Amino acid sequence: MMKKPVLGRMGSGLRTPKPHEHMLGPIQKISQPMRRFDPGEEVDYVIVGVGAAGGVLLQRLARAGFRVVGFDAGPFWDTERDWVSDEAGSYNLYWNDLRVTGGSDPLAFGANNSGKGVGGGTVHWAGFTPRFHPSDFRVYSEDGVGADWPISYEDVKPYYELMEREIPVSGPAYYPWGDPHGYPYGPHPLGGVGDALVKGCTKLGIGVVAGGPVAITAGSHGDRPHCIYRGFCIQGCKVGAKQSTLISHVPDAIRHGAEIRDRCMVSRILLGSDGLVTGVRYFDANGQEHEQRAKVVLVCGYSIETPRLLLNSACSGFEQGLANSSGLVGKFLMAQAGNVVLGRFADLVRMYKAPPAHALTEEFYETDPKRDFARGFAIQTVGPLPIAFAKQMMTAKGAWGWGLRQVMMDYNHWAAFGFLGEILPWEDNRVELADETDQYGLRVAKITFSLHDNDKKLVAFGVNKTMEVMRAAGAEEVVQEPRYAHLIGGARMGNDPRSSVVDSFGRTHDIPNLILCDGSIFPTQGSANPGLTIQALAARTADYLISEGEAVRSRHTQTIIRPPIRYHLSPASTAGRGVPRLRSLRPRPTIGAGGLAPGSKG
Amino acid sequence: MAIGRQRAKEHVAGSPNGNITSQSEQGAQAAQSKQTGPDTTMLPTNPRTGEPLAPRAQPGYYPGFSTLRQQAFWDEATRNVVLERVQHTPPIRFFSPEEAQLMESVCARILPQDDRDEAHIIPIVCRIDERLYAGRIDGYRYEDMPPDGEAHRLGLRAIEAIAQHLYGVAFVELGPGEQERVLATIHDGEPPAAEDIWQRMSVSRYWMLLVQDCIEAYYSHPYAWDEIGFGGPAYPRGYVRLENGLPESWEVNERRYEWRAPSWAISGEYQPMGGGDTAATPGQEGTH
Amino acid sequence: MAVKALIPAVEDLSETLLDARLRWKRLAERKARMVESGGLARDIERDVQIVEEYIREGRFQRSLSLIAGISALLGGLEVTYEHYQGSYSQRIMYSPLVASAGVAVAACWGVFDRRVARTALPIASLVLLGDGVTGFIFHIRGVARKPGGWSLPVTNVTMGPPLFAPLLLGTGGFLGLIASLLRREDDPLPSGLPGLWEAATAWFDKPPDEFSAHRRSGSAQAEWSRIRRRIREGRFQRILAGATAVSALLNGMEALYSHYKNNYRYRVQWLPILLSPVIAAAGLGAIWNRTIAETLLPATSLAAAISGLVGLYYHLRGTLRRPGGLKLPVYNIIYGPPAFAPLLYSSTGFLGLLASLLRRGD
Repeated sequence: MMKKPVLGRMGSGLRTPKPHEHMLGPIQKISQPMRRFDPGEEVDYVIVGVGAAGGVLLQRLARAGFRVVGFDAGPFWDTERDWVSDEAGSYNLYWNDLRVTGGSDPLAFGANNSGKGVGGGTVHWAGFTPRFHPSDFRVYSEDGVGADWPISYEDVKPYYELMEREIPVSGPAYYPWGDPHGYPYGPHPLGGVGDALVKGCTKLGIGVVAGGPVAITAGSHGDRPHCIYRGFCIQGCKVGAKQSTLISHVPDAIRHGAEIRDRCMVSRILLGSDGLVTGVRYFDANGQEHEQRAKVVLVCGYSIETPRLLLNSACSGFEQGLANSSGLVGKFLMAQAGNVVLGRFADLVRMYKAPPAHALTEEFYETDPKRDFARGFAIQTVGPLPIAFAKQMMTAKGAWGWGLRQVMMDYNHWAAFGFLGEILPWEDNRVELADETDQYGLRVAKITFSLHDNDKKLVAFGVNKTMEVMRAAGAEEVVQEPRYAHLIGGARMGNDPRSSVVDSFGRTHDIPNLILCDGSIFPTQGSANPGLTIQALAARTADYLISEGEAVRSRHTQTIIRPPIRYHLSPASTAGRGVPRLRSLRPRPTIGAGGLAPGSKG
Repeated sequence: MAIGRQRAKEHVAGSPNGNITSQSEQGAQAAQSKQTGPDTTMLPTNPRTGEPLAPRAQPGYYPGFSTLRQQAFWDEATRNVVLERVQHTPPIRFFSPEEAQLMESVCARILPQDDRDEAHIIPIVCRIDERLYAGRIDGYRYEDMPPDGEAHRLGLRAIEAIAQHLYGVAFVELGPGEQERVLATIHDGEPPAAEDIWQRMSVSRYWMLLVQDCIEAYYSHPYAWDEIGFGGPAYPRGYVRLENGLPESWEVNERRYEWRAPSWAISGEYQPMGGGDTAATPGQEGTH
Repeated sequence: MAVKALIPAVEDLSETLLDARLRWKRLAERKARMVESGGLARDIERDVQIVEEYIREGRFQRSLSLIAGISALLGGLEVTYEHYQGSYSQRIMYSPLVASAGVAVAACWGVFDRRVARTALPIASLVLLGDGVTGFIFHIRGVARKPGGWSLPVTNVTMGPPLFAPLLLGTGGFLGLIASLLRREDDPLPSGLPGLWEAATAWFDKPPDEFSAHRRSGSAQAEWSRIRRRIREGRFQRILAGATAVSALLNGMEALYSHYKNNYRYRVQWLPILLSPVIAAAGLGAIWNRTIAETLLPATSLAAAISGLVGLYYHLRGTLRRPGGLKLPVYNIIYGPPAFAPLLYSSTGFLGLLASLLRRGD
């Protein structure tokens, strides 16, 4: 017998969208036609990749009145028509084009860390949005490993606060780690996994926060509803509760005259005779090749595609890849150790309910001199759905055959924690070009990744600690699956053109009007999920570009150190929402008129 | 891990002696009884009585729970995708008929469904075939692996070679216990034959590819969701009861029963993959 | 005491000019006389008699102000963290905080100050009542805007904005309004105050026949006058019994869907759900039937008051037993069982008890 909704018509109870409406959730939609620039027209900015950073940049620059075109290799999603509440059916959300992966600890891509389509990876991230700690910006100074950033936490902090409002981030009123602060939206209720993490941590005397920080609405946000706790965050949130730039920034960008060319694969960045880039060449949805001229080109393709595009754009003067005079394009690639620790409980957990991301501890984030390795890790909740869980049982328990069937019948008894450990930047972890080509005839990326001594010690210690927490929570059996999460690095920022690819605003040292802005420019990665920091840095780069204006094409020396923060460029839905919050407990460092001097070590 | 290795060696060492024959007989018996009725040796058993458990429409601890019955509460796009999966079985286009037949017997051991009645078997091979035919990949290929389609073809050849090496019989002719022993050598990372193939691809990565493909076919099916008590699609209706494993009003509470894998099944106990070096086989699914 | 109502209006005016302290003194003197005349038990008995008499005659403005104030305060605290669950994502979500704080302050002040009780309290109460109705409309809209909207009533009412909570908060305003119309405990006379309120209520102290003339005119104002007069005289059992019924129903609905979230894991969770319809029936019955008002209504109301306290105990215990317990105080108060909800349930009980003590309109 088929169950039917109590009231209303048979069906989901959702309003059927009209044909011209581009739905971005059950209520939010884009009804007006998108601006289209003339094919031969030179625009102000071309953005390659409308993901976490690209989406924010597109919105900022369009709102500031510039002519902007965003390119994305994937579709401009209509969330009601294109997305499904189904694990296997969400295949198309991921960057599934070929990459070759190697090294002694090869990384997995696709569903693991790479998005394709407008919104990019934010479409299928779980939405954890912790900030980096102040120490993350000076890892080399403090621990003698990795690298320092050319900027400090204080440079990024106002953008953290700004993005936490725009996203908006839900979380506790008091977040105790790093630079303690509160969140503009309240915490979410816990599911079974969160309960387990809180229970385990509390028992061991480990500090833990519940209900965030996550980029999921705890409360309606304009036309975005409150989360419905259905657990399909990483399959694309049809509810429109979990933020992706597709639903938080792109609608505002379109309203302010930005154009998005979806299903368009940028194949190469074009360099003019004056040493400036002149635009991009791209394949449209039908495989036709076109050119788009622009005053400035922004590359926001993340840690694999950004280096790949630069390497594939090699030309006379830049034989080793565009903007690669340092030879560091593609180098210092990082991933975070993302082991999944699974525990079986006597009682039911039903971990498919509630968002996978909803509680965490950063108690072990910082370097502890008592341990024999530098840096640290975080422990977070995760909520694998059946397919992911079965694969975890395959690796963690070696399950197959009848054993797999049997342990899967206990799916509802298991809870899962995600370990998130900082892996340091190593030059031999890298992106190069393979000899194979993709459907466009472009050489695909070849990624080499291996753990080093410090990384292995950190993972061993951290996974043990995570398993200890799981046992303290009451699990009878605890197993773990090694895994890697998130991508970072590949075109690091710095003040010295010989040891970095871009400056702190993402502007390449080699070419003034070529800007990189995404996770690839991070010199280190901390053990915080990078999504918030990527978006914060994008907002900062946007402020910088707007301050520079035309001058960005000519100036090689960086004169603007701390651009004014343009709060009025926030999307329309930002103002007047959320709660007053704790800003900081740290004494405010005095910021001199000029901030850091150019070239000084930050 | 030591047990796993030892286990593989035992099979290899044991291959020429008599106990294999009995297993072959068991296999022949199984093949024979397939025509006449359910073969009780294939079935999981009640550990207390040792009695085989009859095949049922819905194995698992959630009798009466049906995700498909909730389909009126799903959004249209999701309903279309899931119903297509349930109602439509794609034809075999990638594998040759021989490969498909071999693949069927392999998948029947990777995810055995003997406890399911005929009407509720979840098709697996046709899903893998569909993916390989369409050239859908997961976005990457390991340096030490050929493309997925080729890897599956090579893998089948290797499985056949191991079966011939251990028992001198084609894999499809073997009894279920022997078939498991053949597959266990790959699981354990120590296949005793087809050295040339293992030169071209990593044993453990092939094993993961094979098992993961089976998992994706099986656990994407609503019947499997009902079996494990997963709520299925959940939009626009989300969840109300988040904590303490409480069921929604439309879910059912767990009603456990004891069962044990058939006596011949070595997959009923858990051994680490690849001899225990788990760091060499990291998971590939996104979680956080 | 009823005799006092006949004392001329001039005396009434002079009375109103007396300092509050003086009135307290008189009351104390009277009490002292009573103590002199009997033992402790008798003393208590007399006190009870006095209270009953006061209520019967509508002389309990101070007490009801206090109840309204506490009820608004509890409701305000409840809504503070309930709306925090929704992150104050719209500015209007702050309005019930302001409105209930207004009633809480005005009502508590009104306990000591006649003028406030007659002016600020009714205004603040009307604002809260209006805010409750506005909130109700916004919550209906909020459920509609959840995915699936009203096609998924069970899920979306349970997980969406609590539908009846704003109305429940509004009952604090209703109580305040009633309180503002009552006579004070120490009022010797039907009295008015000089000033705004006095001007508006000049009709209030007119002799019955004049009042009847108003009534005959049949205007809405006349009808309102009648109601106010009855309230002032403590003849509004029906109104309060009706209010008790409504409040019990709203409370019951709240308990129904918030306990539904928990799948009624503990049998005691059914208590408020099962009790509410009985109280509501008693309340409604009391409108038509004096006997019910004097028997079933006080009995069920007492049960509600007690079950609210039982609920408070279980809710506090539940909060402490949550993962993390007191180590995550803010979180566990927000998402643990709501501590103040059972107290609101108790206040419904008090409302019913109060109603049972009043006189009927006829």
